Amino acid sequence: MGKEIIVGEELADSAAYRRLEASIQEPESEEMRAWKDAGGKVIGCLYNNIPEELIVAAGLTPYRIRAVGSTGAELADSRFSQINCSLVRHLYDSAKRGRFDFIDGLVAANDCDHMRKLYENWKATIDEPYFYFLGFPKKHGEPQAARLATMLGDFKKSLEGSFGVEVTDEKLRAAIDLLNEIRQLQRELRDMCTSDDPPISGAQMLTVAIAGDSMPKKVYRDLLRQLVIDVRCMGDATRPRARLVIYGGEIDSPELLVAIESQGALVVADSLGGFGSRNCACDVSTTGDLLFDLAHWLVVDRPHEPRTFNTAPERYAYVDGICKEYGADGVVQVHVSMCDLWSYDRLNFDRHAGMRNIPCLDLDIEYVLSGEGQLKTRVQAFVETITDKER
Amino acid sequence: MKRGLERWYRYKEVFSGALSAEEAKGEQANPVQLAFLKIVVDHVDRIIGCVESGKPLASIWYGNAPEIFAALGIDWYCPVDMVLASQAFTSDLAEVHTSSTPDDSCGLIQLAAQAVEKGYVPTPNSIIAMLEPCDAQTSVHDAWLSVDAWSDIPTFALDYPYGSTQGDFKYFADELGRMIAFLEDLYGVKMDWDRLREVCETSNQMYAAWSDLNDLLCAVPCPLPPMISAELGWNVTQHLLPPGSPDAINLFNLLSAGARQAVEAGIGAVPHEQVRILWADLDGTWAASMLAPWLAEKYGAVIVQTFQGHTPYLPIDTSSPESMLLGVGRRSISEVPMIRQARGSVGVFIEDIKSMVNDYTIDMVFFPGHKGHKDQSANIGFLRETCHDIEVPLFAFTCDLFDPTWVPIDQLKRSIDEFFETQEIRPLG
Ligand code: SF4
Ligand code: SF4
Repeated sequence: MGKEIIVGEELADSAAYRRLEASIQEPESEEMRAWKDAGGKVIGCLYNNIPEELIVAAGLTPYRIRAVGSTGAELADSRFSQINCSLVRHLYDSAKRGRFDFIDGLVAANDCDHMRKLYENWKATIDEPYFYFLGFPKKHGEPQAARLATMLGDFKKSLEGSFGVEVTDEKLRAAIDLLNEIRQLQRELRDMCTSDDPPISGAQMLTVAIAGDSMPKKVYRDLLRQLVIDVRCMGDATRPRARLVIYGGEIDSPELLVAIESQGALVVADSLGGFGSRNCACDVSTTGDLLFDLAHWLVVDRPHEPRTFNTAPERYAYVDGICKEYGADGVVQVHVSMCDLWSYDRLNFDRHAGMRNIPCLDLDIEYVLSGEGQLKTRVQAFVETITDKER
Repeated sequence: MKRGLERWYRYKEVFSGALSAEEAKGEQANPVQLAFLKIVVDHVDRIIGCVESGKPLASIWYGNAPEIFAALGIDWYCPVDMVLASQAFTSDLAEVHTSSTPDDSCGLIQLAAQAVEKGYVPTPNSIIAMLEPCDAQTSVHDAWLSVDAWSDIPTFALDYPYGSTQGDFKYFADELGRMIAFLEDLYGVKMDWDRLREVCETSNQMYAAWSDLNDLLCAVPCPLPPMISAELGWNVTQHLLPPGSPDAINLFNLLSAGARQAVEAGIGAVPHEQVRILWADLDGTWAASMLAPWLAEKYGAVIVQTFQGHTPYLPIDTSSPESMLLGVGRRSISEVPMIRQARGSVGVFIEDIKSMVNDYTIDMVFFPGHKGHKDQSANIGFLRETCHDIEVPLFAFTCDLFDPTWVPIDQLKRSIDEFFETQEIRPLG
């Protein structure tokens, strides 16, 4: 018998993984600095509804704003209250501290009531060379795709005017192809976790996904290509005690998953937003009008979030499908306090999970992980319940 | 008994009792109170009648263009209205406190989710969702649709644009067109545009009558008791009556007649008025009954106006079907309260505060910081700057507008005492 391999341990030998991991430790990665030094421009994107393809087609690099390393949100106190979610408060605080000074503009959408107000407060109090806001529909029909396509046309014009570029169809098609390739590579990596002995942990998978929005896309695509090869060559890891799926909105740091996985469970898959499987579940079509295709992907094709009306049955079917495909023993649902969209979703999903006998652990979290001891105890108890049942 | 009706028969009993008691006063009866109670009883009767007979009944919200339902001859109700109106004689709030509804969300939404789950509201045969002005609105419909009794009800949602350009209004008018098609298809009815014209025209008169009443509130001292225009106006225009109902116009005229006399005589409804307050939010369920009388009595402080009572309504142009849909749409997305102040960017919220402070000769702004209003809580920086610029003191606090226990009223009163002290406002001697 060979040496026991802990899930993900071998990844440390992958130079590609080490670079990806290093890129998410600070707001500005080395790769982003190199891009800027070469005269490139970076557009800060708030949350997961920004059409990055258009930004890439304009020759710019999209950067997902993350308050990595934030320890407090005091500078947000004068603009937000305690009923605002900690995510937006930390993002604003970091912005005020100049931690995103390397961005050349900020783009946001009405993802939720907190996020749209983060944009407004940012715009009112922090200088950026460029601001743009997209009013996303809250329904997912064809009229909404058509409307969003018009809005994307306006956004395209704005980028062209402000950055002196022309976004041709060729450039947009190339950008869509590039991001589609990234999605395909991410799916390939994720697919490997359907095996009994997944080669990569949930925290590592999230790290890889976050890195995708911390550096220029082509650099990321190349690293991801190499990573997929490296992971394929890795030996079988130890079988986890329990296989979990994590479900929720945005998690932009692997810490929570590290804490969960420290209790003997493996997060084999997720239904998370921008850095999760929902963002790479399907590709943007390039068969029709490209702006319409992109809009269609954004509001119709990809798996939905609670902000999009009447999508719960489909959202839960997506989670059920993932549980089945990845052989999950249970679901961990995460919810950031004060987030109405996800708190009601949690209530409804609990009902759904209860009816289907899906073991489900609800975790209330804050943007910066706190109360880790208690969290671990709850995860441990959950894992024990699941494994006891199976014995 | 059909689901939800037990509770509604109880409403009928309670409000009919109150109406009879008022009627029994004969000449001493308060005509406004009489008219309003009659409207409530008629509303409850109408909904019970619909459910008992299986007639079309849509669940809608105030921003769902009720003019259209009136023109199509479809009855409607907002599932949470009577739940809010009956807090004094139900245990709904106590139940919410022990329920699993998220306690960091709006109390109205918690009550609405609970009411449908527990069968405190009758089951409609269509649901029209309102996806503004807050995240919780979208969420509560998901919660309703996860309840067995409601899960198969045909549903349509109106998607509100974020902006206020001509393109945005056109998009919403198109949404209204799609809603009409949905209702026509579901109920086998046909939009009669002449009927819609009549409804729009009488609703224009109704909003004009309310606006005339509000003009009288600009007088110093304020001729009507605190918040009464907002309380009655919002309920009759948005919830209890079809738009443009003669009963609504009659109620406004009654209130205006009394107010006009008081203005002419220079008499305020609150003796010794010394502070005029703008309540920058919806009224909620307790401010008018538990806070405003205390403010008036102790300090001569009058809540003169609220966002709920604000009447920025422009007449709907009834010259064509297109102009009517645009007008009804404009009313729904940028005139009715909350959607007006909370949808889109902060501009309207701030402009409303500035203009209301000016129009109503306001001395200070109360900002309730309602726990559901995550967007407005993040307006606090803008609000502070505005109040500073227009030199009006701001009292900002936190509460649940629909749950007087979330922040106990006594605690709130103590904070107000402290704030008034800083403003050198003393209790009436
Ligand atoms: S966690 Fe919820 S409230 Fe916070 S930004 Fe995300 S969606 Fe909005
Ligand atoms: S009161 Fe405010 S938070 Fe509550 S449902 Fe209405 S708009 Fe939303």
